[in-house]
Amino acid sequence: MGEASTRNTGFSGAALEHLDALYGFAMVLTRDRAEAEDLVQETYLRAVRAFGSLMPDSNLKSWLFAIMRNIWLNQLRHVRSGPQFVELDAEEGNRAQWLDRVSNDPHALYVSKLEREEVRAAIGRLPHLYREIIVLRDLEGFSYQQIAAILECPAGTVMSRLGRAREKLRRLLGDLRTPSARTAQVN
Amino acid sequence: MVFFLDDELQSSEVKALEAHLTECEGCRELFENERRFLTALRGFKPLNPAPPELRAQVERILSNGPPAYSAPAELRVRIMRTMSKFGASTTELIGSRGALLVIGLVTIVLLVGVWYAAKKGNAEPSPPSDFAMMAVNNHQRHLRGQLPLETTADAPEEISNWFAGKVPFRVTLPNYQESSGQEKLYELEGARLVGYKTDYAAYVAYSMRKRPISLVMTSDAVARPSGGEQIVSNGITFHYDAINGLKVISWSDRGLTYALVSDLEERGQQSCILCHQGTKDQDFIQELKPR
Repeated sequence: MGEASTRNTGFSGAALEHLDALYGFAMVLTRDRAEAEDLVQETYLRAVRAFGSLMPDSNLKSWLFAIMRNIWLNQLRHVRSGPQFVELDAEEGNRAQWLDRVSNDPHALYVSKLEREEVRAAIGRLPHLYREIIVLRDLEGFSYQQIAAILECPAGTVMSRLGRAREKLRRLLGDLRTPSARTAQVN
Repeated sequence: MVFFLDDELQSSEVKALEAHLTECEGCRELFENERRFLTALRGFKPLNPAPPELRAQVERILSNGPPAYSAPAELRVRIMRTMSKFGASTTELIGSRGALLVIGLVTIVLLVGVWYAAKKGNAEPSPPSDFAMMAVNNHQRHLRGQLPLETTADAPEEISNWFAGKVPFRVTLPNYQESSGQEKLYELEGARLVGYKTDYAAYVAYSMRKRPISLVMTSDAVARPSGGEQIVSNGITFHYDAINGLKVISWSDRGLTYALVSDLEERGQQSCILCHQGTKDQDFIQELKPR
């Protein structure tokens, strides 16, 4: 097998590993299953065409995410009526059962379908900028610098936006307890 | 503290934080609270696993690999600049013939209903090509609002220029309505790229009396028309299909393969007059005959 073919095979295998992550990010961006699938396919098509320009020491996953986000932004620029990014008020007073369970037993991360749906719904209710940064950092594990490159913003913006996003997500998931109140309950 | 949980601290900073947490109960509680929250949140990955059909499609894309020869964009731009220097006569020739073809094709969309009705009940046509199916799929997605246009330019030249460097073939759209001086009967809505096999095809959206028409183009090295009812005109074989209630006509000419999709219902030559009132166009229509 020639060098080019070997590299192709290696690229294909490595790229496919990130399919779930890319689809999850596409769902966050588009909030529509059909559009997300279309976005994923376009991302891989462009990646296949452009992978020759990928430097050997580059991070493939962040490269793929950057391609996807650029495709999506380009589509938004040309759509007559783009998605409406609405600031949602946090729902106060709703407790998620999984948060209770985690609070009392941090080692018992029991993930049920219902809990996953709660988290998915809460993330879906975040404003768009918060939604994507939560996924990039807390679900996909990108560093602040990698996130800054994907979002094309300063690392400082990543840090501050991430903090606000997490706070809003906590409110949506119903974590209203103060640390002292939680300590009192545990004791 | 959060930087520590995100693995963003330097080792000296980590030590300092750990030392502080040992001594400060309040900060330790905050830290533990945040750690539990983030640990739980990160346990939900993947939040949206890819459906099996999507995985299969992506595997196909990756298994085909990149094109054997993919010219860099800069080379493509230089070549097109060079061609344009020669190309006034060549471009005009391509432009005029291309205009005639696309004009005729819109007409064919209106005419084919008659021939299809006449042929119904005769020998069963062979199945439509994969390219025609792709064109129909994208037309339907456009109808559902699931195919946002990447450019909404309404001038053929702008659309043609937009595709330059994005696809490995020249996209030339006619501007015959203005050139023939007739009333504008159809609108150019915009265009975008659509995936086909391992590369992109050009997708152009039109509308006529608020009914959408889709035109998809790719290199004839990538796709060739096949199947359906066949109509010959000017040495070109047009393939007509009815797919999912939509009319599709596909053909190849001068290195490109086209597929035109609509749901227009007009019948007969009278319908042709809707779009074509010039003598040249009527002569073209007269030449259309089934194979």
